[in-house]
Amino acid sequence: MIAVLWRLSALCGAQGGRALLLRTSVVRPAHISAFLQDQPTPEWCGVQHIHLSPSHHSGSKAASLHCTSERVVSVLLLGLLPATYLNPCSAMDYSLAATLTLHGHWGLGQVKSAKAGLLGLSALTFAGLYYFNYHDVGICKAVAMLWKL
Amino acid sequence: MAAFLLRHVSRHCLRNHFSPQLCVRNWSLPMAMSICHRGTGIALSAGVSLFGMSALLLPGNFESYLELVKSLCLGPALIHTAKFALVFPLMYHTWNGIRHLMWDLGKGLKIPQLYQSGVVVLVLTVLSSLGLAAM
Repeated sequence: MIAVLWRLSALCGAQGGRALLLRTSVVRPAHISAFLQDQPTPEWCGVQHIHLSPSHHSGSKAASLHCTSERVVSVLLLGLLPATYLNPCSAMDYSLAATLTLHGHWGLGQVKSAKAGLLGLSALTFAGLYYFNYHDVGICKAVAMLWKL
Repeated sequence: MAAFLLRHVSRHCLRNHFSPQLCVRNWSLPMAMSICHRGTGIALSAGVSLFGMSALLLPGNFESYLELVKSLCLGPALIHTAKFALVFPLMYHTWNGIRHLMWDLGKGLKIPQLYQSGVVVLVLTVLSSLGLAAM
């Protein structure tokens, strides 16, 4: 049981793990062993315990780095939310613009059907937020003003 | 109880569904919450993108648009409802996001824990949304 949980926790760090939870009709312990038959996807945030051929290594290292970076940005964004409330300023505006756009870009990248024109959309969004911060009141002030309505 | 309700909902599934996952016989809370996490993520991204592009493309500044909304003289009930509608997907995505990060640390992956943490996320979402909408 512990071995199953260990494998599941390693898998859940990967994209495949996410898809596991989506595809499951009824999540029952008996079915977990069936899922472990699946090949793990290259994206892997945890330690790799499976032997890979040399040609796979560089690709999976990049995927692993991407996966970890996604989590780091998520935690950063999580921390920014109360920080911008407690200390609204220009630096917070720009940090929020960058982190929000990056998190959204990587998040939408996970939704396979949303790939077309994603880079363009994200770039445009970031440009728009940057413009808003520079020429207009900025994100923090805008939310404050909106909430005072 | 929640699983029982969800199972009944799936009976009325459309024939021409756009995703086979939605017509699966037995929905589970973790599955539904996972779909909602994606849904709220997409909706929030769309909102942020719309905001960014409006800043670039629409004339006038932010204050002028706020004045426009103020001039509509919407009642406080409608304003509170709108605030709640804005903040609810954000709170759901945030709390469920924390739950995802916990999974990435290998915590709370047992099946009963999945359901417990799911309910906690839903309760926190409602409470925090109400709280923020009231501010």
